[in-house]
Amino acid sequence: MDAKNIEQIVKEVMKSMNNQGAPAQGNPGAKLTRRDFPLLEKRPELLRSRSGLGLNEINLDKVVKGEINAEDLTIHPETLEMHAQICEDMGRNQMAASFRRAAELTAVPDERILEIYDQLRPYRCTKQELLDIAEELETKYSAKMNAELVREAAEVYEQREMLR
Amino acid sequence: MAERKEFKNKRFQILSEKPVNRHTYLKDWPEVGITAHDGVNDPKPSIKIENGLVVEMDGTRREDFDMIERFVADYFIDPEQAEKSMTMDSTAIAKMLVDICVPREEIIQIAKGFTPAKFKEVVTQLDECEIMMGIHKLRARKRPGNQCHCTNEPDNPVQMAADCAEARLRGFDEAEATTGVAPIAPLNSVALLVGGQVPNVGLLCQNAVEEAVELQLGMRGLTTYAETVSVYGTERVFADGDDTPWSKMFLASAYASRGLKLRFTSGSGSEVQMGAAEGKSMLYHEIKCIMLTRGAGVQGLQNGAVSCNGIAMSVAGGVNSVHMENLVTAMCDLENASSNDQIFSPSDLRRAARTFPLMWAGTDFIFSGYGCMPNYDNMFAGANFDSNDYDDYLVIQRDLVVDGGLRPVTEEEVTAVRNRAARAIQAVYREMGWPEITDEEVEAATYANGSRDMPPRDIRADLDAAREMMKQRVTGVDIIRALAKTGFEDIAERILKMQIHKIAGDFLHTSAIITPENKVLAAVNNLNDYQGPGTGYRLQFYPERWNEIKSIPQESSPEDYE
Amino acid sequence: MQISQEMVQQIVSQVLAEMKAAPPQPSVSAVLAAEGKLTLRDKGVAQKGTNAKEVVIGVAPAFGKNLHYTIKKLPHDQILREIMAGIEEEGCTARIVRITRTGDLGHIGNRAAKLSGSGIGIGLQSKGTIVIHQKDLFPLTNLELFPLSPILTLEKYRAIGRNAAKYAKGENPTPVPVKLDETVLPLYQPIAVLLHNKEVLDIVHRGDDIELEAQFKE
Repeated sequence: MDAKNIEQIVKEVMKSMNNQGAPAQGNPGAKLTRRDFPLLEKRPELLRSRSGLGLNEINLDKVVKGEINAEDLTIHPETLEMHAQICEDMGRNQMAASFRRAAELTAVPDERILEIYDQLRPYRCTKQELLDIAEELETKYSAKMNAELVREAAEVYEQREMLR
Repeated sequence: MAERKEFKNKRFQILSEKPVNRHTYLKDWPEVGITAHDGVNDPKPSIKIENGLVVEMDGTRREDFDMIERFVADYFIDPEQAEKSMTMDSTAIAKMLVDICVPREEIIQIAKGFTPAKFKEVVTQLDECEIMMGIHKLRARKRPGNQCHCTNEPDNPVQMAADCAEARLRGFDEAEATTGVAPIAPLNSVALLVGGQVPNVGLLCQNAVEEAVELQLGMRGLTTYAETVSVYGTERVFADGDDTPWSKMFLASAYASRGLKLRFTSGSGSEVQMGAAEGKSMLYHEIKCIMLTRGAGVQGLQNGAVSCNGIAMSVAGGVNSVHMENLVTAMCDLENASSNDQIFSPSDLRRAARTFPLMWAGTDFIFSGYGCMPNYDNMFAGANFDSNDYDDYLVIQRDLVVDGGLRPVTEEEVTAVRNRAARAIQAVYREMGWPEITDEEVEAATYANGSRDMPPRDIRADLDAAREMMKQRVTGVDIIRALAKTGFEDIAERILKMQIHKIAGDFLHTSAIITPENKVLAAVNNLNDYQGPGTGYRLQFYPERWNEIKSIPQESSPEDYE
Repeated sequence: MQISQEMVQQIVSQVLAEMKAAPPQPSVSAVLAAEGKLTLRDKGVAQKGTNAKEVVIGVAPAFGKNLHYTIKKLPHDQILREIMAGIEEEGCTARIVRITRTGDLGHIGNRAAKLSGSGIGIGLQSKGTIVIHQKDLFPLTNLELFPLSPILTLEKYRAIGRNAAKYAKGENPTPVPVKLDETVLPLYQPIAVLLHNKEVLDIVHRGDDIELEAQFKE
C-alpha cells in the first residue's frame, strides 16, 4: 500500500464520516489539520487498530480473556497518514515523510524490521545486498519510499566506503 | 582519588579544596576541536543551489560532502527558503530571535533555509540572557515539562517500580531507565511500565539501551517511547556509533510504524570525545546533529552536551555554548529535552548556574534526566540533580513563580504509591513465574531512599528470567493480564490506555506528553504562543497550578500556633 | 594521581607536539611499553581461533605502543598481565589481538569476540576502559561493561579476565561488581578526551586485526 492509496482510503473514510459534525470537516476529502488534533479526542471515529478494531471494541475484559492480543494494539497505516497530514499543516514536512514511511513499514514484520535496520548499519552489507533489500521492500511490502531510502543508502555507502 | 595540590597560602588552600576544583578544566585545543565554538576548521556560511540541489554548503562542494553534510543539505535545507535566509544579515536575525514582536513561526520559517555555519553565526551573537529569551519564545510546547532518570545500582525491580511511581506523583512527564548489567533491560522496562502508571495514567517510559534492543522492547509493548538513538556530527563518529543517517532515518520510521514516540540524542563534545572532531568546534558539530534530526523526520532531540557535559563544561564558554545548542533545537521546531542530566561538577553553584536559566526559560523537558533516586543509584554515572535536591527545586519554583514541572508531595502520598507499586510488581513477578519478590522487599521499597536500604537480590536469577522473557516474547499485554488477574485492575487499565495511545498516534507529534487526565498535549494543540508579557505559559493564567506549586508542606501558618 | 592545571597543560602540549611529529610507522614490528616491561610483537594478520577455551583480548590501536598507562596511571603491562592471569586461572587461554581500524570500545570487543574460538572477547582501550563481549551481540551492547576506568584496580582487571573465561566455558558468572563513584566523572572525563584523541592517531583506515605476542620482563 503506498501513500497515495492510503491517502485515498483516508479520503473515503472521511467522506463517509462527513455528517458527524467533526471539527475539520467542511470539504469532503479535505486533509486533516491541526484542528483535528488530538485524534483520540476530536476524531475517535477515524481510529482503528492495525487489526481493524474500533476504539470502542477495545477493553480490559477482552484483553484478559485473550480476545485482544499484542498484535491488535498497534497503529493502522491510515492513522499514520492522517498524522502526516497534520504535520504538513504544521509545516513539518520531514516528519510527514517519516510518518508515510512508517505507514509502509506497518506491513513489515518486527523481526524483518530489526534485520533490515541492522543491515543498514555501516560495513554490514555489499551494495547488491542493500539493493536486494530495496527490491524486497518494494515488491513484497509495497514500501516504495523505504526502498528509495535503502537505494540511496547503498549509493552513499559505496561513495563513502561503508559497504562490507 | 586524586591528591590535591598543596598551597602555602591558607586562602588558596581552602579554595583548592572547594567542590568547584573537583572538575578538570581544559585549555582550548582548537586543532582537535576542544573548543566551545571556535574550531580552527569551522567554516563560514555559504550556499550554492543549482536546480533545487545544494551544490555547495559552508564552503564545501557537493562532491566533497561527507555523508552528514550530504544528509543535512538534502533533507534539512529548503532550497527556496535558503535563497532568502542565507542573504539575510545574521545580526538582524539574531535580533529577531529576541524581539517579542517577531512571532515564533517567522523564525522557524527563516531557519529552514540555514546552513550549519549560518546557525552558528546567528546564535553566537546572543549573550546568555538573550539565549534564554530565545528559548522562552521558541520552545515548541507551551507548557514546560520534565523527565527523570529511574535506575538503581543492583537493578532491583521493586525499588525501581516504587521510585517510578513516586516520580510520576512528583510530576514527571517521562521516565528513563537504563541498566547496571545490559541483559537485565527487559525487566527494568517492566518495572517502569507498572510503577509509572500507579498514581495516574500518562507517564511515558523508555529504556536507554543499545539501539536495536531498545526498538525490540518498544515493539513488545514494554516501553512507550525512545530517546537513546544517538546521532553525531562527523561521519567517522557516526560509524563508530554503529549507524549512519540513513540507518537512523529508517529506525525513526520503524518506531512510528509501531506507534512509539521517538526523539534523537546528541550533544556537544561527543565528536571530540570519540577523537574525531576534525578541528571543528563542539557547537558546529552539534548544529549538524540538530539539522540531521529534523531532516530525518524525528519530532525532537535530547541535547545540551548530555553525557558529554563534563567535556563541554571543561572549556571556556562551555555552558553558554551548550545553551546555544538548545536554542538551535527550538529554532528547528523540534521538541527539546534540554539535558541538565549528567553530573559535570560537584559544585552546587555551578550546577545551579548551568540548570536554572533553562528552568526559567522553560523547555519541553527541562531535565532529560533528573535523578529520581540518590546519585549512588544513578546508572547514567550520576545526575546533575538527584532526589536529594527535590526540596531545593520545589522551593525555587515557589520563590521565582516558575513551573519547573514538579509538585510538592506529602510522605503519606509517597508511601501509598510506593507500596502499591511494590506490591503490583510483586504480583506480576509471581504471576509470570519470575524470581520471587518477598514481602520484606516490598516493605523495604516502600520506605527506601535507595538501594542501600534494600535487601540483596540474586541478580543471576533475575538475569535468567530476563533472557527467558525475551525468548518467550512476553509483551505489555501479558503484563496487563498479570495485573488484572491479581487485583491490580486499575493499573492494568492505565497500561491499556497507554497502548491505546499507540493506536491513536497523537503522542507521536512534536513535544507530546500525556497528562494525568489522559489528554495529549503537543506542540500542535499546545503550541508555544509567547509574544511578550500577557502571553504564553505563565502561572498567573493557571491559578490551580500555582496554588499547587506554592503550597509546600513546610509552610507555617498562624493556625499552627493556635 | 594528581590532576592539576599544569598536568593537563603538560598532556595537551605533549600530545600536540606528537601530533605535529611524523605519523607513527605502520610497519613497526615490536614496540616497547612502559619502562621496557612489555613487548608486543606483531605476528601478522589475526585469524579466527578454533580453541573453544580461548578468550581474545582485543587491544586498542595505541595500547602498549604509543600509550603506556591507563588514565589512572596503571601501566599497560600490569593490567594485561592481570587480565591474562584471570583468564588462565579459569583454565582458559588468552590470545592478544590489536584492533587497528577503530578506537571504539564496543567495536574492539566485538571484533575480538568474533576472532575468539569461544566467541568471547575482551575489548581494552589504552585509557583502561574495558568490556567483555560476545560474538553474536550488537557491537554496542555487551556482557559486561566498565565505562569508568579510573575506579578499576588491578584486582578488578583480574576478576574481569576470570569472568570472561567463565563465559567462554558456558558459565553464567555474577558480573564483576563495581561501586559507582559520581565524583569520578567530572575529574576524569576531560582527561579521557585527551587520551582518546591520542589513541585515534594510531587508527589505520580499514586496517587488519594484528595477532600480538606479549613478552613481559620483570
